[in-house]
Amino acid sequence: MLELNNINKHFGGIKAVDDVSLYFTEGKISALIGPNGAGKTTVFNIISGFIRPDSGEILFKNKTIAGLPAWKIAGAGLGRMFQDNRVFGKLTCLENVLLAKKGNPGENPLGAFFFPGKVRAFEAANISEAKKWLEFVGLADKAEIAADNLSYGQQKLLAFARLMADGRELLLLDEPTAGVNPAMIGQVLTLIKKIVKEAGKTVIIIEHNMSVILEIADFVYFMDDGRVETFGAPKDVLADERVREAYTGL
Amino acid sequence: MNYILHILIMIEIYLILGLSLNLLMGYGGLFSLAQAAFYGVGAYISALMMINLGMNFFFTLPFAILGCMLLALIVALPSLRLKGDYFMLATLSFQTLVFTILYNWIPVTRGPYGIPGIPSPVLFGFKISEVWQFFLLGLVFTAAAVYVFKKLYHSPYGRALKAIRDDELLAVSLGKNTTQFKVTAFVISGGIAALAGALFAAYVSYIDPTSFTLDESIFIVTIIVVGGTGNLKGPIIGAFIILIIPEILRFLNIPDTMAPNIRQIIYGALIVLMMRLRPQGLLGDYRFE
Repeated sequence: MLELNNINKHFGGIKAVDDVSLYFTEGKISALIGPNGAGKTTVFNIISGFIRPDSGEILFKNKTIAGLPAWKIAGAGLGRMFQDNRVFGKLTCLENVLLAKKGNPGENPLGAFFFPGKVRAFEAANISEAKKWLEFVGLADKAEIAADNLSYGQQKLLAFARLMADGRELLLLDEPTAGVNPAMIGQVLTLIKKIVKEAGKTVIIIEHNMSVILEIADFVYFMDDGRVETFGAPKDVLADERVREAYTGL
Repeated sequence: MNYILHILIMIEIYLILGLSLNLLMGYGGLFSLAQAAFYGVGAYISALMMINLGMNFFFTLPFAILGCMLLALIVALPSLRLKGDYFMLATLSFQTLVFTILYNWIPVTRGPYGIPGIPSPVLFGFKISEVWQFFLLGLVFTAAAVYVFKKLYHSPYGRALKAIRDDELLAVSLGKNTTQFKVTAFVISGGIAALAGALFAAYVSYIDPTSFTLDESIFIVTIIVVGGTGNLKGPIIGAFIILIIPEILRFLNIPDTMAPNIRQIIYGALIVLMMRLRPQGLLGDYRFE
């Protein structure tokens, strides 16, 4: 599904990402773990095109995407959830999800004037699909509420609904449980599992909570100082000495 | 009666300008100080084509509008690579550049002498020259602008612009080519401002560069700041308030030598007060932060 080969990125004198190669299999949940500053979010930014790597190759569905503008990479079917909650705050939850759809003829300014029928038909289909995804994440009753008025956890759920719309195949989730009220973490995890099992998505997750990793991840990469130190099944990686040292100092 | 109609015509012109800026500021979140430049270029294209080529006013309109849209495209492509304040500075320099060209390109624009004797518009052999006729013409133009923006605001295009305003990075992550959205907004906004310019030139029958200065751009921003942005009603109420204020001063028996200064003070104070107390404007949906 996604393949990174020998990616390098320097910021000034700092090697943020140092010769990193990662492989992600379709229909699985893979996790990137490691201490703060290990380069995990930088890897996400490189995959989604917000940061250009200095060297290396990225293949998404066997096509190279390194160097493409971020909106094109997103358009190819790659979804991204940010570490800090991001919503279109002044827009309603429904509008937030409607925006996720690609190829909307109404987003051409001429559409409203010259092919209103086509725009209306697309909009109607988009609305019914968006409502379905709001229901999927449990926000059906919030459709007409401005996203600013949701709780932090609800905004995370809204981000999931947005990612689900439009059939994105690969989802990058940057700490989806961080800052979420503990009662809601279970709900978020169930949702991630549901996304993979029922909707057949591929998920890459950055996570600090080890019990979350053990519960949902199929495969784990451990990063430190911009390098991949070890990888494998969650149990084995979490048992590794270097991982234990990084997380507990033992 | 003509006095009131004259004020209403000026309100119509500034309402169109306010709406055109609203698409940029209230929807795209782009602070532009170049609205008067497009207003002026539209006025000059229409006036010069009527005088030099003897064209009918209504046939000059597509040239004025498309000319300004093309100009907006040329300006937008480099400027929209800049973010926030730097974009505003780019529009400011474009505004200054246009004024300088209008002022100094004497063979074409006659520079500071301006262009006198702009003929009245003729529609199917019927000459529009009375004030009430211009009022009706302005009403048609205003209705056209309101129609265009209403359609755009309620379309998925308007929604995407608002989304980009709220969080550009998120919009990019959903596959939106945000630069393209901003460029089209700038181009549409420039084209509609040209419409106001053509109407102004035909109505006053004399134009010179001093009508299209940076002050004028700031004046249009004032309309938006006072009335509010992000919807239709904000710029409409803003245009009424801002254009009626000087007329009220007229009845307060303030000497002519002082009136323009007092007007500037009032406008300045209004901007400061609105920004401080009600940043979304009187009827706006969106606040500048």
